[in-house]
Amino acid sequence: MSAIAANPAPRRSPFWRAVISGTGIVALIYVLLYALYAFWQPDALSVYTFTDLVNNSTPLALAAAGETLVVISRGFDLSVAGVVSLTNVLMAVYPLDGPGGALVSLLMCCAIGAVVGMINGILVARLGLQTIAATLGTMIVCQGLALVILDAPGGMVADFVTYTLTDTLFGVVPIAGLFLVAAIVLWLAFRRTNTGIGLYAIGADEQSARFSGVAVSGVRITAFVGAGILYGVAGFMLSAQTATGNPTAGTPFLMLTFAAVALGGTPLSGGRGSLVGSILGAGTLMLLQKVLFSGGVSSFYTGIFQGFVLVLAIVFGNTVARLLRKDDAR
Amino acid sequence: MPSEASSDRRGRQKLDRETVNTLVVFGLSIVLIVCSRFISPALGSWSQVLTVLILASFLIILSFGQGLVILIGGLDLSIPALITLGGVLTTTWVGTSDAGVWYMLPAILAICALVGAVSGIGIVWLKVPPFIMTMATSIVVASVALGYTSGTPRGGSPSALLWLMKAWFLGVPVVIYFTLAFILFGWLLQNFTALGRRLRALGTNRNAALIAGVGVNRLELVPYAVSAACAGFVGMMLVGYSNGATLRMGDSYMLPSIAAVVIGGSSILGGSGTFIGTVGGAILLTTLGTMISAIGLSEGWRTIIEGGIIVGALLVLRGEFLTHIGNRMLTRGK
Repeated sequence: MSAIAANPAPRRSPFWRAVISGTGIVALIYVLLYALYAFWQPDALSVYTFTDLVNNSTPLALAAAGETLVVISRGFDLSVAGVVSLTNVLMAVYPLDGPGGALVSLLMCCAIGAVVGMINGILVARLGLQTIAATLGTMIVCQGLALVILDAPGGMVADFVTYTLTDTLFGVVPIAGLFLVAAIVLWLAFRRTNTGIGLYAIGADEQSARFSGVAVSGVRITAFVGAGILYGVAGFMLSAQTATGNPTAGTPFLMLTFAAVALGGTPLSGGRGSLVGSILGAGTLMLLQKVLFSGGVSSFYTGIFQGFVLVLAIVFGNTVARLLRKDDAR
Repeated sequence: MPSEASSDRRGRQKLDRETVNTLVVFGLSIVLIVCSRFISPALGSWSQVLTVLILASFLIILSFGQGLVILIGGLDLSIPALITLGGVLTTTWVGTSDAGVWYMLPAILAICALVGAVSGIGIVWLKVPPFIMTMATSIVVASVALGYTSGTPRGGSPSALLWLMKAWFLGVPVVIYFTLAFILFGWLLQNFTALGRRLRALGTNRNAALIAGVGVNRLELVPYAVSAACAGFVGMMLVGYSNGATLRMGDSYMLPSIAAVVIGGSSILGGSGTFIGTVGGAILLTTLGTMISAIGLSEGWRTIIEGGIIVGALLVLRGEFLTHIGNRMLTRGK
């Protein structure tokens, strides 16, 4: 600390700091990858392809955004798989048509996510369980509930949800993208609040944060509830995508959200990172799959690919975090 | 209790906590078996108890590996994939022909252990969190198994495995003798060998273990390799039990393997727990599972109950609740 005070590092402009942060790097990767995709498939630049890509990425991006809240506060949240499955199943078994129905469904998904997040938060912050252990428990219970509601893939999501949410606004803006924009705007506002600053503080050093007057358990519970709500919305958007219910719909999310978070420059050790990076990370993962598998490779290569990408993303995230730390220390 | 001026209570307290927890878990299993007679007259009979023990043997062997991983503060999520790998390789490479069964089965176990060691390498040297690394290994292995069998594994069980799972000796299935031997072996390994003590030291405090001269990096690979080999072996046992392999044969074992360890009194943070406690946890869970099936509850309810049990056990163990009660019971007599 004293060394830093004695030798203040030259302050960079906010723009430059954003570029060298994890978010900047992942944004660069995304643009390069998209250019590559456009080079191979010229129709990648059409509104239709872009909308399709945004639609595909939105559920994962929202789930990764939620996970980021918990990861920044130094924790892991496995309940993402359970909440996505549970909300997807509910959307398929109890479809509510029309704009009003869609709104009620969305609120229902948010409420389920919030309740699960609240339970996680209480288990972790008030009852002192480890985050992995507590969220593993809630994930299992949610998956069980999903199986009780729908024991095999089936059901139909309301037509209004399926058609409207995968459409574009004024023929250019994908509606799913608006959900992402809303999440980003809320995040940018949230990170400036006391709770938002506290989130980084408890992730960096919980003890110091407590001594500095951060309401640690309150912040943790907020992080879990916020994460849960985002998982709920992710489940809602996934249902709009798939138009059907599947009690194990959330399982692939478990792995991909962590890959997206790591790729987005949020180290899994907490205290740093950004929700925007994770959203871009999720977009990159989906784009990468699209680029590599546009030829129609069998599903078993997809699994191998996902496993490797997951590990590589984390190694990449660790490396970026180390480089940035060095940069800070200098 | 502070008034008791004993010089060193640490050793005794630890013993108390683990012993008390083990006794509670075994006691609950027996109570459940007895009570299950009220639910259905078919339950609780001798043959039913044997069936429960056979089913529990899969879980006991799995949770030995999972327990070692949890002992060093990790978590192994690749168990289902490795069960499938062990099973699929056994039916396709050996199958009913029994060709070279005596060296092929150990070779398959070695392959599984190697996969586990790869997870360990990622965790130790690439610094990937354990649950993510094993999840990644898991999806790669599952995909390879899917691609290798093109969806439908062929072949049946070698006769040696059929014998292990189906034969009886002196009125008790052979597999139960085998499991008892395995429990003895696992208990001795974990509590009375240098390896077991080093693992416990690693789980308690990695830095302290390093300073004490434990080669922590290489040691950390061992539990993942052992866990993978155990899962591969359970894959073989399942092949013998159902005379064939499927790609989803391991799916239902991941959560119980963690639950058994946690219920058995191990700390999810690592550094504490006994294999005997875990065995109790496995038997308790299996008993509960058969009861749930007998009542006719669906898969979903079973999952919910399992999740609830995991959280409940974590909460009870966290507060040293049982230690407290145990110590009070022990000191009351004085």
